[in-house]
Amino acid sequence: MAAVAPGVKTGPYHAVLDHIHPEPTSFIRKYVFSIDHKIIGIQYMITAGLFFIIAGLLAEIIRTQLLSPKGAVVSAATFNAIYSMHGTTMVWFVVIPLLTGAFGNFVMPLQIGARDVAFPWLNLVSYWIFPVAGVLLFSSFLIGAPDAGWTEYPPISLLGPPGTSMWCVAVFLVGISSTLTGINFTVTILKMRAPGMTFTRMPLFVWAQFATSPMLLIATTALNGALGALFLERQFGIPFYAPQHGGSPVLWQHMFWFYSHPAVYIMILPAFGFISEILSTFSRKPVFGYKMIAFSTVAIALLSFAVWAHHMFTSGMVPWLQLPFMIITMFIAIPTGIKIFSWMATLWGGSIRWTTAMLFATGFLITFTFGGLTGFFLAAVPLDYHEHGSYFVVAHLHYVLFGGSMMGLFAAIYYWFPKMSGRMLNETLGKWHFWLVFIGFNGTFIPLHWLGLMGMPRRVAIYDPQYQFWNVVASSFSYIMTFAILLMFINILMSLRNGKKSGPNPWGARTLEWMISSPAPYYNFKKIPAVLATPYDFGNPLPYLGLDAAPGATEATPTHTSHPVPTY
Amino acid sequence: MAQRVVKPKTNLGPGFWPVTALIVVVSIVMVIYIELMPLPIGLEQAGGPAASVDDLFRFLGAVAACIFNIVTIYTVYFAIVFRAPKDGPANSIGVQIHDAPVLEFWWTAIPTILVIILSIYSVKIWADLQNTAGDVLTLEAIGYQFGFQFRYPKLANPTTELHLPIDTPTTIHVTSRDVIHGFWLPEFREKVDMVPGLVNTIRITPNRLGTYRVVCSEFCGVLHGAMAGVVVVQSQQDFAKWFAAQGGAQSTGGGGAAGIPLSSGKVAAGQTLFGQKCSACHSTGPFEQKLVGPGLGKIFNDPAHPKLVNGADPTPENAAKIIHDGYQGDIGTMPSAQVNGLSNPDIANLVAYLASLSKK
Repeated sequence: MAAVAPGVKTGPYHAVLDHIHPEPTSFIRKYVFSIDHKIIGIQYMITAGLFFIIAGLLAEIIRTQLLSPKGAVVSAATFNAIYSMHGTTMVWFVVIPLLTGAFGNFVMPLQIGARDVAFPWLNLVSYWIFPVAGVLLFSSFLIGAPDAGWTEYPPISLLGPPGTSMWCVAVFLVGISSTLTGINFTVTILKMRAPGMTFTRMPLFVWAQFATSPMLLIATTALNGALGALFLERQFGIPFYAPQHGGSPVLWQHMFWFYSHPAVYIMILPAFGFISEILSTFSRKPVFGYKMIAFSTVAIALLSFAVWAHHMFTSGMVPWLQLPFMIITMFIAIPTGIKIFSWMATLWGGSIRWTTAMLFATGFLITFTFGGLTGFFLAAVPLDYHEHGSYFVVAHLHYVLFGGSMMGLFAAIYYWFPKMSGRMLNETLGKWHFWLVFIGFNGTFIPLHWLGLMGMPRRVAIYDPQYQFWNVVASSFSYIMTFAILLMFINILMSLRNGKKSGPNPWGARTLEWMISSPAPYYNFKKIPAVLATPYDFGNPLPYLGLDAAPGATEATPTHTSHPVPTY
Repeated sequence: MAQRVVKPKTNLGPGFWPVTALIVVVSIVMVIYIELMPLPIGLEQAGGPAASVDDLFRFLGAVAACIFNIVTIYTVYFAIVFRAPKDGPANSIGVQIHDAPVLEFWWTAIPTILVIILSIYSVKIWADLQNTAGDVLTLEAIGYQFGFQFRYPKLANPTTELHLPIDTPTTIHVTSRDVIHGFWLPEFREKVDMVPGLVNTIRITPNRLGTYRVVCSEFCGVLHGAMAGVVVVQSQQDFAKWFAAQGGAQSTGGGGAAGIPLSSGKVAAGQTLFGQKCSACHSTGPFEQKLVGPGLGKIFNDPAHPKLVNGADPTPENAAKIIHDGYQGDIGTMPSAQVNGLSNPDIANLVAYLASLSKK
């Protein structure tokens, strides 16, 4: 037996751990300034959930305004502020924090068999920057909210209301928060995987986080540089962007899109991870083409740094430079196609359980494919000359961000809610939520493609009367979608109190987070398990050695011949 | 007796081939629809390059429709036939396959080939757009909050409507006076941003008479949604009439620049004006020190460039004429004094300042 260092307690395992990191007992240390990745993940989820409600209400003001060509409810100036805040909030305060902050924090350390992230205190700092930035962003309404869209192109953003500077600071802060999270997760995944969890045995959601985290780190730097320059120019007149002082308006666009195109993939790769996990669990099959999915995730992450100027085909650049950007953009379709086909093959031959999470994951396949295909129309330069800046772009980006990221997030909420709360969400309400969102979403955004092709520009508070019909159709369906999302919030609140107890592994899943009790205990794993194979082989025994017997889960040994059975 | 090895039959699922046939039929119907119908819906083609852009749209639309049918119909079909029966055993599992290299090769190879074809087709259309015959008529469009102005050669005043003679290859140089605007001609399927300090160019060839829209497609301020203009495509005769009515005939003599009081120009006032109106595009260094336009520090005394950019001798009168009329040529486009908001005394001050630079 190994010698024990003097002063280290021996005995029952948890006693040793308690000595090193006792579980905090005060409310403040446990739930407010917590360093536990699970609590921080849930904090991210609640905060981003509140921002999501605000952004959703702003979206409904936008759609209501567009019921009438003259603008139905608010003035043009207010409308501009509202759509700018909607975009800013959804990108930086809802989707990215939910994907990396909430689910990355909660799920990833559990899936790699770690007790926490590599830098728990840094994690606390990352989180607490985020609500502060959110408060700053929304208080810009008090002094005149930014009105030039979430992209804030100068020179118009230089002339914008005072709140535009506050917007710079808020987004800058949230950028710092993401950068810190990126560092934290990269190190966690590289250094803290359980023994035996080689790269080819990592769950695919961990692969997605592994591709996303360095992107957060590298790309956000460019955004923060650009934001700093915009702030300095607005407040102190240091010329970066204004042409009359020797600046270049197009410089901002390069810096901004050098961040924001990788950000598009920061907003979709973790969702790809959700889909891989969920399709496999509920088809009760290994993920089809595990290595190709992991490889294509990394390929997309790398390619995403070489396509930013496809947002700028009409901005004014050397014409020949458009071609490499167009061609590389089109080539992203290949790894994306590999993923889509692999997921379809995962469904094939399955023994599919149609839970709400599975419905959302399958709905994702359809809506995301649609959004990916319209991306092709925008990537082709000659077509982009027509479609750029029109409602076609609005429709495309909502198909990838709502039909992709948000559908993935809804699936993830239904899938991991039991692990977070120990209770099941109501499946009947969940299915209503899915079908109403699916109908409402497609009804809202399909007509916008046609409006864009017919010549309706985006970001307009008033529009030509011939566009009214399809705008009314879109707005009507958007109310269905909002109602459905309201159902989800009701479902969550009701289930937190009255939901059925879930047990450790309600879905019969095989990744490590389901091998411990729900909600997950403070230390996650009393003993770090050893990993013998990929998690997805439903026909085989569980590939883990040395798991504690969590309540309800039998200890896994190499001779263990059964596999987890759904209990929901 | 030797055991017979029975190769297991691949069971693709009940009804796999009928569903595949359905995908083929639906795709064929959609491709025919896309190729025959005038798409995009409800938008006329008023001239080049609309027709070739729409061809590309329909080609991409046909490919995209087929891919979408394959993904959607198979997904729905798998979702239905492979659902676990309600009363089935709780521990049932699916077919434990991990991959199928041949299948994966094909679903990587076929999209790669498709992407290459689409890239080549897009590059071809793109090259057509770049190499369109232009320059039979050259004019400039200037965006401002919240409207468009158009300047024609030999026309003293800018116009508010874009009039184009039919079947005339036209080059439009585009810039902005304040913030970024978009110059979108939906019926021509062409767009370029109007960026202050930068001149972008598009080429169109109108081929259908009528009145069409100019739409601002970049957010430019409170009234962005109301910022619009018109393109009027006219017959050659009608265009000539309209052009004459705009004063096109009498300005050919260049008399507009005659009334500039050159002798009373003040260097200090000119220097201030230069900082406000010119320095976005011009440095005060030598000709080669270009921003958007050439450096203006030595225009009256530059052995390397003995003539002005329009080929005239470097006299104060000729320099004043360029500032007054604007310039367009192979090195770029400069708006006229009218568009830049310069009065005749302003021009005199500027010329005096430029002359003082050249003496240094």
